[in-house]
Amino acid sequence: MKKITYIILGMSLLALSSCYKKDNWAEPDVQIHGNIIDFYTQKPLLSSQGDWSIRYWEKSWTESAAQPRELPVKQDGTYNNNKQFAGAYDMLPYGGPFWPVVDTVRSVAFGGSTQQDFTVTPYLQVVDLTTSLSGTDLTITCRLKAPKRVGLPNLVEVKPYLSLTTFVGESNYINIAEYNNKRIQINKSWIDENGNVETSKLYTIGPLPVKSGYTYNVRVGANVNDANRKYNYSEIKQVIVP
Amino acid sequence: MNKYIMKRNILLYMVLLATAFFACQKLDLEPKGILGQPELFGNEFGVKKYFTSIYDYLPIEDFNYYGNNNPDGGNAFRPDNYWQAGKNSLGNCSGEFFNTWQGVNNVGFGYWPYDRIRDLNVFLRDFPTYEGEFTSTVYNALVGEARFLRAFFYFGLAKRYGGVPIITSVQNPTAPRDSLEVPRNTEYDTWKFIYTDLQFAIDNMRTSSEFGRANKYVAAALMSRAMLYAGSVAKYTTYMNYGSERAYAGGFAGIDPSKANEFFQYAVDAGKVIEAGPYQLYTKNYPDKALNFANIFLDPGSTENIFVKDFDATAPRNTRLQHNYDAMMSPQPDMVSEVGTESYPPFDFMELYDMPTYTNPDGTPVRFTNRSDIKTDMEPRMKGTMYFDGDVLRGKTFSIQKGIYMTYTGTAADAQAGSNGAPINSGTNRLLGARGATTVINGVTMNITGTHGHFSFNADGENNGWGAAFVRKYINPGMTIAEAKLWNSTTPWIVFRLGEIYLNTAEALYELGKRNEAFDYIEKLRIRAGCKVPRPAIDASTSNIGSINKANYPYQIEKSLQFIRDERVRELYGENHWWWDIRRWRTADQILNNFRHRMLSAYYVANEGKYIYLDEVNRNNRSWTANKTCFYEPIPGGEIGKNTKLLPNNPLY
Repeated sequence: MKKITYIILGMSLLALSSCYKKDNWAEPDVQIHGNIIDFYTQKPLLSSQGDWSIRYWEKSWTESAAQPRELPVKQDGTYNNNKQFAGAYDMLPYGGPFWPVVDTVRSVAFGGSTQQDFTVTPYLQVVDLTTSLSGTDLTITCRLKAPKRVGLPNLVEVKPYLSLTTFVGESNYINIAEYNNKRIQINKSWIDENGNVETSKLYTIGPLPVKSGYTYNVRVGANVNDANRKYNYSEIKQVIVP
Repeated sequence: MNKYIMKRNILLYMVLLATAFFACQKLDLEPKGILGQPELFGNEFGVKKYFTSIYDYLPIEDFNYYGNNNPDGGNAFRPDNYWQAGKNSLGNCSGEFFNTWQGVNNVGFGYWPYDRIRDLNVFLRDFPTYEGEFTSTVYNALVGEARFLRAFFYFGLAKRYGGVPIITSVQNPTAPRDSLEVPRNTEYDTWKFIYTDLQFAIDNMRTSSEFGRANKYVAAALMSRAMLYAGSVAKYTTYMNYGSERAYAGGFAGIDPSKANEFFQYAVDAGKVIEAGPYQLYTKNYPDKALNFANIFLDPGSTENIFVKDFDATAPRNTRLQHNYDAMMSPQPDMVSEVGTESYPPFDFMELYDMPTYTNPDGTPVRFTNRSDIKTDMEPRMKGTMYFDGDVLRGKTFSIQKGIYMTYTGTAADAQAGSNGAPINSGTNRLLGARGATTVINGVTMNITGTHGHFSFNADGENNGWGAAFVRKYINPGMTIAEAKLWNSTTPWIVFRLGEIYLNTAEALYELGKRNEAFDYIEKLRIRAGCKVPRPAIDASTSNIGSINKANYPYQIEKSLQFIRDERVRELYGENHWWWDIRRWRTADQILNNFRHRMLSAYYVANEGKYIYLDEVNRNNRSWTANKTCFYEPIPGGEIGKNTKLLPNNPLY
């Protein structure tokens, strides 16, 4: 009886082990990472988590046509992915709040830990962010800057973002009518709105009702009517409501 | 003969029998159960049978259409388990209905009906062999019908993808790969191809047809709709700033604005063809204009119907020959026996109609003696489109109330669109509740909410009352409550009706600068609708602010053109036009820019014994957002995998 049990156990072990098959392809272990540099500030672009992505095409794989894949850009203006196959890739920052990048970066060699930075020219900069509290009413002011105004698509809106976490922007904010309805919809050209000057007038948003005892992370986004309408952001300001 | 020899002989006979008789069995036989081309193409009944299966696949966005990507995968036109189409309707996805589940579908579902186009190309290639079997009128009519059907599929493609490969031949699957990989045609050529097919159909089809089958006027109706779409694409795509996108630069997505008038003129011409036909605006139930409007969608003999898709309760399940509209649009258990309401009309759409005054000039809410007094002075067409408090369906009366104010002093604005933070909305002054909640005021037990809403999000709201009104259009009051259940609705879907054609013609005429002529058509519709001002004066001043969600368009339009667009919303509400309209106007990303529905909420003011109506934000905090990827769907990835000549993909993909 015992013998039979051992035989069955042994056979099933053998049988099951045939299911274990090691892939003949090495697992993807290459890291690609880098910064998206703001041309004006030479610092990483102020972004919102996953708002837009870097497109990349694997060119060393030729069995089928390369389809674009995406590397989402993080809030701090960096991107990172450590599960890539080694090979040659084309890369392009695409669909973000900046003047379209015309030149795809060709044949980036992914291997080990590869860093590839990109420099982009944002449409707008959101500067001079101030916040002021009056009781539980928050008022925000800011200005926009457009260093490059020729061919700039129409301004669309200036929108406040509030969040109770440190992630704040279009991809994560308190999405309620009380805040959204206070956004400033412009829909005019920069020249019509501000004249041909680099820095805009002061935009005041509010009052926004906030709750006592909470800490808010606040920033402002502004966008233009390009094909993507993504936002350029201000720095994040923390507001502690007593 | 000894027994061994005998046994051997028997064996031999058996082998002989086995082989010889089977030799008589000829395997290469014509199968009897399959109809070949001679049977199908050689007579009218055969052609009808061949076309029937194609009609079944037409891209008609009816009650069973999944506006959102079918979660079970597959084709939104032919979903399985399609009772859920009511939850995933095009109206729900595009913000035309208030609904808690669905968002905007920006990317589509990979519609690619080249199999059906092939069926039609087979017919068009081989049918001429049988020309001698028909009179020339019949022969031409049937060829016209095939081209109408083919144009319908291309319309389904063009409005989703812009330019697609135009296939007019029957491709041989064993042909060299190169010849099978057909590149995209430009968007202009694609719409022109649709025009050519439909013009042939209009010129050759017969003037009448049996119920549910196309004729010359149906072809003209499709022409009217399709050419208006193409004209709008040509005129407004330029404002999308797709500049550096390769599909745009190559003409695969977008048409040169100089071509817009060509398409608008085609739409006007098609409208004139239909006007010469036997159709009239439905006025059978005059003088009750509200009932009359509701019955347009229920009377199968309506003089307004141009093309109708029928349903049949006796057909087997999952044939998509029944629908569930009644079960999904009215409260359960009071008015339907299964499921209950999944879609509600938001106030943003209601306020486009002639509305009664609910706020006084001094800003205070008007006091109503009864909740249903809100319907006094309301546009009859609106009452024919939506159910309000006091209306009766299947013997039950709608009862819609959000809550009770102990007192209401001050203006409507003091309620801050229903915000909990407003002082007047403190928990002791404003009582809200779930279904059936009661309170005792001065010794009298009162219901806080109406029987049918609207309730708070997690309080028995689903299927009953998340909205402040209910949809009436297409609801069949002739059913009993028990009959109003899943898979049991057979109200036909009106694919084309004269009302839409008038709107198409009016919009195209206005775009062509013929303002007064355009309003001749608007006036006809507004008289039928019972509007206070049937023909508003032309206002050619421009603005870039739209009506719904006060959208900021990327272009200026004349106020009267905006009025015509709004007239479409009023007349065609809930008929699956809205999404396609805001797409072709290229305003979807601005109208659905955090579009947060509003609700017109009824309250009882306890100390006065009166009712007030307040304009509030929907209490589920739902909003709809579309982005610029929605104007063109991406070419399906699987198709690009097979044929890289389909690249460049559409803008932003």
